[in-house]
Amino acid sequence: MRWLLRLAILVAVVWAVVGADPAFALDRNFAGSAQVDYHFVPTAPGANARREGFDGVTIEAALKVAVDFSDHFSANVKVCFGCHGFETDMAYFDYRVADELAVRFGRFSPSFGAFNLRHDPANHRLSDKPLPYDMGRMLRLRSWNMGVLPSPFPDNGVEVSGKLALGEGAWLDYAAHAVSGFKGDRLAGDLDWRASRDGSLYYVDNNARPAVGGRVAFTADLGTQTDVTIGSSVMHGTFDPDNDHAYTIAGADASLRIHRTYVRLEYLARRQDVDVSDPLRFRYAVVPNGDFTMKHGAYAEVEQALSSTVDLIVRADGMMRVGNVLALPAGTPIPAEGELSSRSLVGRLTLGAAFSIERSLRVKVSSELWEFSDRNADGQLTAVSFHLGAVGTF
Amino acid sequence: MVVRYVSVRALLGAVLVVIVAAACSGARREGAAPPGLPAELRPNWDLFARRCSKCHSLARPLDSGIDDDEHWRAYVRRMRLTPGSGISLADEAQILEFLRYYAAEQRRKKGKEIDAGAEVPSGTGTEKDGGAP
Repeated sequence: MRWLLRLAILVAVVWAVVGADPAFALDRNFAGSAQVDYHFVPTAPGANARREGFDGVTIEAALKVAVDFSDHFSANVKVCFGCHGFETDMAYFDYRVADELAVRFGRFSPSFGAFNLRHDPANHRLSDKPLPYDMGRMLRLRSWNMGVLPSPFPDNGVEVSGKLALGEGAWLDYAAHAVSGFKGDRLAGDLDWRASRDGSLYYVDNNARPAVGGRVAFTADLGTQTDVTIGSSVMHGTFDPDNDHAYTIAGADASLRIHRTYVRLEYLARRQDVDVSDPLRFRYAVVPNGDFTMKHGAYAEVEQALSSTVDLIVRADGMMRVGNVLALPAGTPIPAEGELSSRSLVGRLTLGAAFSIERSLRVKVSSELWEFSDRNADGQLTAVSFHLGAVGTF
Repeated sequence: MVVRYVSVRALLGAVLVVIVAAACSGARREGAAPPGLPAELRPNWDLFARRCSKCHSLARPLDSGIDDDEHWRAYVRRMRLTPGSGISLADEAQILEFLRYYAAEQRRKKGKEIDAGAEVPSGTGTEKDGGAP
């Protein structure tokens, strides 16, 4: 059946691009991007690939078509190919009643946080995402189960949003959504990010209860060359088929632009219910109120344009996970990337640069210094890695 | 391991050559204003670059192939109303002034017939759309 879904999406894209009746489709815009990246981890022992992460070459590619039917009505379809294979990242309609009220329905990434707006690799200057939003490029990605909220996070549902002017040079953006929500097995101990976005399940929810959330952001111009945005986001839902276990993700963000310098700060945290009905499944004794885990993540980033050709980026990011850990089955060797403890931390310092070769072509280079609170199978607490990537967009 | 190091160094070297070559070329750059942009439209370009680069590469709009004023009007309005875009109603009008100039240049380069209103670099709109909303 998956081929049927893919065929339907392909037909929709082709129809939107070339087949629609001009009388009904005002404007169509076709866009896309592709990034190829080489991730080199010299501190990984031996030559075995993927001991701790996706070292080697990866690619992310996307094609998108936007159709403006009228001033009030538009459609977007985006398909992408990356580490998870071929997926539908967007397939939604927007109906804008007024500046203050718009309705989006279909498949889309709900408004949450500041980074997700720039999640496409063509839109951010480093090869990888901040750790709280990591979706597989981080070292020890399996034990950490990636970020707090791997980005993008497309889901099916509806979102109401709007923009409220607060005088000259200041406005408030709001958004509220109801979507399927993330998925997970009751006994898994964490969300299943692959199942949450896997097209092989026909993008059908695993329970009947929608997840809800929203975002509020205040933006103000502080002069012709300076502006600031402060935002807050939240989402909440159940992830198991029986609606017994919930997750709540909350975050705050601030971004400041001063001439050609961007400063971005963001923090998010996820509270995750854990089924503790069988205490023997866990590595540590189950304590009262020990039926949940907390995962915190934050990043601070400075992006400085040195010229029209070169951007310099410095980023510090990290995550902390607090809570019990599922025990390895008896006789199972410790994985190469080690195990998490009841309070695990990872920190990373990144220095990178992006070179604009052409307006549509950028080369990205970056170096990363990692520090972990838990040792891997080889006893290491630190690691160094390098990215070399190229991204094209149209 | 040694082979891996050598191959990576070779790869890095090749990329550096490309970067240096590009830096010495006259290629179009992400942050550079279009050549020949009239001085009076420079503030419009700056605003366009500042607002639009918040979320995406400037190549996305500039290399989109759009050369129709009405299309730009719908496009920019949709962008303005994207949650978190940071584009105000006043910004929309100024950004459209630059994009109308840019569209006229695109039409001229393509050898298309240009309507007289769109040729004026500092124009604030065309008769077609009655100006910015």
